[in-house]
Amino acid sequence: MRKAATDEIAPDEGDGPRREGDGAPGASGGPPAGAQGDPRPSGPSGRGAGPAAKTARARSGIARRREALTGLAFVAPMLLLFIVFRFGPTLGAAFLSVTDYRLSGEWTFIGAGNYTRLLGDDLFWESLGVTVVYTALYVPMTVALALGTAVLLHRTLWMRGFFRGLFFLPYVTSIVLAAVIWKWIYEVQDGLLNASLGLLGAGPVDFLGSDSLVLPSIAAASAWKGFGYSMLILLAGLQSIPREVTEAATIDGASGWQRFRWVTLPLLRPVLFFVLVIEAILGFQVFDAMYVMTAGGPVRASYSLVYFLYDSGFKFFDFGYASAVGLVLFLIVLVFSLVQRRLIGRDAD
Amino acid sequence: MATSSTSAERAAAPGPAPVSPHPAGAARPPRRAAARLGLPVLLVLVAVVTVTPFAVMVLVAFAPAGGQTLPGALDVSRATLENFADVLQSADITRWAVNSLVYSLVSVLLILLFASMAGYAFAKKRFPGREILFWSFLATLMVPFQATLIPYYILVSELGGVDTYWGLIVPTLANSQAVFLMRQFIVQLPDELFEAAKIDGASEWRIYTTVVVPLIRPVLATLGVFVFLWHWNDFLWPLVIGQSEEMRTLTVGLATLEGENVAINQVMAGATITVIPCLLVFGLLQRYLTDSIATSGLKS
Repeated sequence: MRKAATDEIAPDEGDGPRREGDGAPGASGGPPAGAQGDPRPSGPSGRGAGPAAKTARARSGIARRREALTGLAFVAPMLLLFIVFRFGPTLGAAFLSVTDYRLSGEWTFIGAGNYTRLLGDDLFWESLGVTVVYTALYVPMTVALALGTAVLLHRTLWMRGFFRGLFFLPYVTSIVLAAVIWKWIYEVQDGLLNASLGLLGAGPVDFLGSDSLVLPSIAAASAWKGFGYSMLILLAGLQSIPREVTEAATIDGASGWQRFRWVTLPLLRPVLFFVLVIEAILGFQVFDAMYVMTAGGPVRASYSLVYFLYDSGFKFFDFGYASAVGLVLFLIVLVFSLVQRRLIGRDAD
Repeated sequence: MATSSTSAERAAAPGPAPVSPHPAGAARPPRRAAARLGLPVLLVLVAVVTVTPFAVMVLVAFAPAGGQTLPGALDVSRATLENFADVLQSADITRWAVNSLVYSLVSVLLILLFASMAGYAFAKKRFPGREILFWSFLATLMVPFQATLIPYYILVSELGGVDTYWGLIVPTLANSQAVFLMRQFIVQLPDELFEAAKIDGASEWRIYTTVVVPLIRPVLATLGVFVFLWHWNDFLWPLVIGQSEEMRTLTVGLATLEGENVAINQVMAGATITVIPCLLVFGLLQRYLTDSIATSGLKS
């Protein structure tokens, strides 16, 4: 479900004021102007020759009502889908989380019962810990890779389009595919990494079988799969920095690194922050990679929060409890989104 | 200005070099040349690392049974289609591919239709509650899918949608990003076009099909590609809702292949089959796709 998360705050972020701004003139200068019976529509159509103000107003009322009805009719299919499959389940999740709903469909209201149970559930804390560590590994890896490749592409013109497409390639594949391939690369027996290490004379390493290496290994595979998206956004950010600024720094004698550190990086900060938050939100939702690569092992060393949710729901059919975990995930994502809005809003000033 | 800046750069080398911590100018020209060469070399290196996993997948998929160890797999002369034949025979992989295609293509068509209709209304029609509806659609982006997975599942299973195509497809159609993208694009179209059609006596539906749809073709194409890829690669929802073996999608099937005792060569053959449609779609529309991510992610 990367789709839900990828653009997380992209659409409503910072767009807010502008959208309201362009919505207003569109609304006042658009259809209503025609509906008001001003010269443009009534002239060529030949209707309404010398009408009294009263009939004009009546006509505009009808036109407005018709426009509202067509508007609603066009929104209706999507609205119905949203009511049944978005708003409904969101409220449903909140409701389920205060019940002991199980597979049978019978339930009683248990208030904060699920949440107090979560607080005392070692498995929950373990999974939360795994998720935090994973995110702390995944985000820097991904963003470093994305920033590095974006800077490289920005600096070199040589076959830029080709390389951009190539770096983006893993992003269009599924996490499952990445997991299947990388599991093989990490294999102890004849996996690519250990075969290469063997050539160098180093002993085999059990990347996915050791509890200290499993999370970095999964994070690296996910970073390979996911960095292309952030790379494109950072590249666009780099390209939006006016040339004059870096040129001025060059004239002042700044070296390449100094230019990057003191000119490019500060100007890139909002974009970089946007990318960091998006990747962090993705990090907290990790499931597919672990499901395929390690099944949460070894001994739950890669048992993430969503894995815990999935098992609670679909292994133990403890739907109420699983919903409570879902709400915790929602709150974490919400905090990230709000922090981002706060900081980017301030940066824009 | 531009010429003076470049000449200043060059002049700075032997001269004063104001802020630069580098001691002598003599060190600079060679470093510059190294940088000019170094960047492409670095690019190629990163590219090799990026492509290697794909290469490994293909090599192992074509390697003869048992010959999956590295030097062996590199021996292209022993390449065989055996693994593809085996995996096609032993697993329901064609059925899974059909499921993935149905899931992706039907979703693309319906999302494009409903989202463009809604986008048109949000952009060009005034109706009560318009702003509130639009923002409430967008607000759902804040709720991660996993957080609502359980009520989704209960709802669909109560409606009898487990192991059905509609149960797989319909809940995923409420896509806020699609509506948002459509609205943003349609808002920029000049109102005169719609008014002219209205004056000519066209019905609203006719205006939508003959004016709106042709004008938004580029954004329909972009969104179509994205929706296809999202759905083709989707995992958690198909995993939960397609419980029988026949209702698995390719990604879910691939994950279960991995879990069972299937030879790695066959798994990689399955993986290769899974990735082909993505690569095709991506190869055809690469520039389009990358440009739209770069701009839509940044529009602020």
